[in-house]
Amino acid sequence: MIIEAKALKKTFGGAVPVEALKDVDLQINRGEFVGIMGPSGSGKSTLLHMLALLDDPTAGKIIVDGTDIATLSSMQKTGFRLNKLGYVFQEYALLPELNALENVYLPLMMLGAPAREYRRAAMEMMETVGLGKRAKHLISQMSGGEQQRVAIARALVNNSKILFADEPCANLDTKNSAIVMNLLRNLCDERKQTIIMVTHEPEHMQFADRIIWIKDGMIEKEEKAG
Amino acid sequence: MRSPLRARFNPAELGNDLRVAFFLVFKAVTRGNKYTLVLTILVTTLAFINIIFTSSIMNGAISKAYQQAQENYVSNIVILPAVDDKYINQVQQLKTRINTLPGVVSCSSRYSQSGLIRYDPEKDNLDVREKAWNIKSIDPEEEIKVTNLQNYMIAGRYLEEGDRDQIIMGREISGGYGASFQISSLKGAQVGDQVTIAYGNGVKRDYKIKGIYNTYFPLADLNVFVTEKEMESVLGLHNRASEVLIKTDGSVPERVYIDRLRMMGIEEEQLNVWMDFIGYISGLTQTFDIVKTIVTFIGLLVAGVTIFIVIFIATVNRRRQIGILKAIGMKERIIILSYIFQAVFYAFLGIIAGLVVIHAGLVPYFVRHPLPMPIGLVSLALVRQDMAIAILSMLLVSVVAGFIPSWMVTRQNIIKAIWG
Repeated sequence: MIIEAKALKKTFGGAVPVEALKDVDLQINRGEFVGIMGPSGSGKSTLLHMLALLDDPTAGKIIVDGTDIATLSSMQKTGFRLNKLGYVFQEYALLPELNALENVYLPLMMLGAPAREYRRAAMEMMETVGLGKRAKHLISQMSGGEQQRVAIARALVNNSKILFADEPCANLDTKNSAIVMNLLRNLCDERKQTIIMVTHEPEHMQFADRIIWIKDGMIEKEEKAG
Repeated sequence: MRSPLRARFNPAELGNDLRVAFFLVFKAVTRGNKYTLVLTILVTTLAFINIIFTSSIMNGAISKAYQQAQENYVSNIVILPAVDDKYINQVQQLKTRINTLPGVVSCSSRYSQSGLIRYDPEKDNLDVREKAWNIKSIDPEEEIKVTNLQNYMIAGRYLEEGDRDQIIMGREISGGYGASFQISSLKGAQVGDQVTIAYGNGVKRDYKIKGIYNTYFPLADLNVFVTEKEMESVLGLHNRASEVLIKTDGSVPERVYIDRLRMMGIEEEQLNVWMDFIGYISGLTQTFDIVKTIVTFIGLLVAGVTIFIVIFIATVNRRRQIGILKAIGMKERIIILSYIFQAVFYAFLGIIAGLVVIHAGLVPYFVRHPLPMPIGLVSLALVRQDMAIAILSMLLVSVVAGFIPSWMVTRQNIIKAIWG
């Protein structure tokens, strides 16, 4: 098991407090491709943010790769995210001043890898996502699908144990969506990459091993997919 | 709260963080919007020029006042009579000894005697102008080695050794030639006009105005000179003086010459440096120093606020990007350092461009076209120490201007930064 969440709660304060997550218990195995689905406002993105250490739960416990997240300081969480987690956002989230290769090797650079090593590793990852020939292109010169594949390469270049994807195909057309989803499936099959993906597209269910349905901040049901 | 820059000190880790921050800045600058870059550097250049220009004009005015005092008023050091004496005795022997001191260029002696100058332009007793003043004497040959008055004659000629019935006076005494203090002057006395001086000892003599000089330095231009021989005949004295002016080569501070003169047997109380004689000018320079400090501070504030706004807009526009960088594991201090580097880069280029404009444009221009001020023609005076302070302050201000907005944005929650 790589992720275990127990009695996870998240309440957003304000004039009228909103309970986004209510006592969620969850377990995710290594090498598993899990899809989190549910209607808008159901709490699926909030759950992903908690598991990905982007936000703190109001109550409950999260253990990622054997580490109780509650014991980590802010700085340690930053290091944890850099070393063990990878993210793909729906709007690609790449740095426009960097070319594709530079975007990909940035996490390795942050880890202190030597230039030759991070260039080689990033280039390998660009080949893996099928963009070896587009490595020197600026982000603005790439299509949405290519940008999302660069984002996936960046998320995995540091050999991250878990890849979190937040609606990675929300801004892509059908053709590019299929390319990205196939890429994620292949990564799971060939590299045993753990992937947790939030999506509201029913056609993406077939790519996951398991689907967790969220409704009103609670797990409504879980089902095998694929 | 601990600063993210000091979160953990590990030299190797910090070195790598600096490398990443520098990489981000390099790419942001080389691949970012060129118009924004040029505009930002233009503004920082103007802010830097503003600081240097204002302080250089002030420095120019101060140094002009000091130069005028030394070249046209009292030279570097002045020996006055001992407390109980009216005159310095054995002055020729004293001057011979002073001239042997290392670093002394020359010296001259002057008598000073109060007198009432009477000017009746029409010689009809209907429009008589009288002014009480201190009349001074000079040995013309000796004086030109100590002061530069002979170079500032605007009408007539300088005194000569044998002149007995002729005087020269400053523009401010004559009251003509654009004098500033016309009301308290002879209101328009000109070269060739006759004046009568009634000395304080009762002697009264007529003189023709031989020359009028204008140094643009009011203290120097408020003097009337007769020759030493003439004054000795008025006073009935010889080989004495009311003051001895000493011109030094400036190789060492005046204090060193004072010590050497003391060792010659001259009392400390008799020895004065030029600064002791410039009175209100000294106060004015102190005021200039205060104004310079205030203007420099405001200039730095303007530069700092400008850079702050540029970085603030950049960080606000990239708030989402900063959130993403944090999400993928970038340390806050790398993000902050990258914006500090960016701010310092803007300031650095602004300083370099500013220095080029100042040295290649402003300084040569003001050397050719100095500003007329009440103390003389003033051009820019670049003081190395002031320049260094301005440069360092500008860089320091840019560090603060880069730190604050980036620190504010990096403090935000990742989710809020990315999704608002």
